[in-house]
Amino acid sequence: MTKEMKKVFFIIIILAMTILFILSVDIEYGNPKNLDVANYYIDQGLHDTGAINLVAAIYLGYRAYDTLMETIVLFVAVAGVIFCLRGKR
Amino acid sequence: MGSSKIIRTIAQKIFPFIVLFGFYLISNGHLSPGGGFQGGVVLGTAIILLALSHSIEQTEKKFKSRWLNMLEKLGILTLIFLGFLGILLGYSFLSNFLPLGKPGQIASSGLMLFFNIAIGIKVAAGVSVIFYALVRYRGEI
Amino acid sequence: MTPINISLLVFMIGLYGVTSKNNLIKKIMGLTIMNGSIVLFFISIGFRETGLAPILEKGTTSGISTTILVDPLPQALMLTAIVIGISVTALALALVVKIYAKYKTLDIQQLSKER
Repeated sequence: MTKEMKKVFFIIIILAMTILFILSVDIEYGNPKNLDVANYYIDQGLHDTGAINLVAAIYLGYRAYDTLMETIVLFVAVAGVIFCLRGKR
Repeated sequence: MGSSKIIRTIAQKIFPFIVLFGFYLISNGHLSPGGGFQGGVVLGTAIILLALSHSIEQTEKKFKSRWLNMLEKLGILTLIFLGFLGILLGYSFLSNFLPLGKPGQIASSGLMLFFNIAIGIKVAAGVSVIFYALVRYRGEI
Repeated sequence: MTPINISLLVFMIGLYGVTSKNNLIKKIMGLTIMNGSIVLFFISIGFRETGLAPILEKGTTSGISTTILVDPLPQALMLTAIVIGISVTALALALVVKIYAKYKTLDIQQLSKER
């Protein structure tokens, strides 16, 4: 990586940061919009899954597929680490 | 390379409490902040603390990496088996087939406790297996 | 200057580290910084003024007022994102250890010369 490429990357990153900064000014902090899904979870989560902790109600009740696939990702990562660093046998 | 006597003693004394806290986080995952991932990471950190304060060989006599490997596979197989048990009993995959119970008790919300226990065992074994593999590597390809 | 802007700033710092550093360990550090900034962004998206943690009281049955709790969905998503970040970092570090054992260097320029 030469010096000029580094300079070009730096300028591109500064430009992208400015654009994202200008775009993110509109997002209102502390007062989100489109809260239908959140209100449904808060209203019906206890009735549907029976858990007080609503985060657990989502990741083990409504979206259990997500958790299963994510566990498989961790399993594959552990298998890859063991495969890379196995001893000479 | 062993560490000093103070560190070894404190780590040995504090180890059961860390394990107890990890099991508390796992088993109360549907009632309070916590859950399978967080409690599993706490359990794995307890093993890492023991391995860093004492030597790796002493720790590996107690927590063998063969058994940790098998525990990891057991956790993920338990999760998939609980999912298919729902199909056998007439529900859909990974859905709840136990009664919901009273909210606020530890026996409530059906299968969630078993999911949390399986995920906790799996994450604890996975973190400690990654640590063992990264530490024991001696440069032979 | 809200946490949303700060998270974008931190993301750009991580992107700078990934693109224009020569050491492989520094590139992985950049990936970790990007992961942390994404977590901060999602958590601050779901934040609500005067919001409590999304855990109900012990005696409630149903039908509590919905405006006093924060959005629980981004927190559940970030719970999985953190674990995936851990596994990605572990796999990348294992690959870096293997690369160093074979080529005895971590510099990107020398690695691309050796091939």
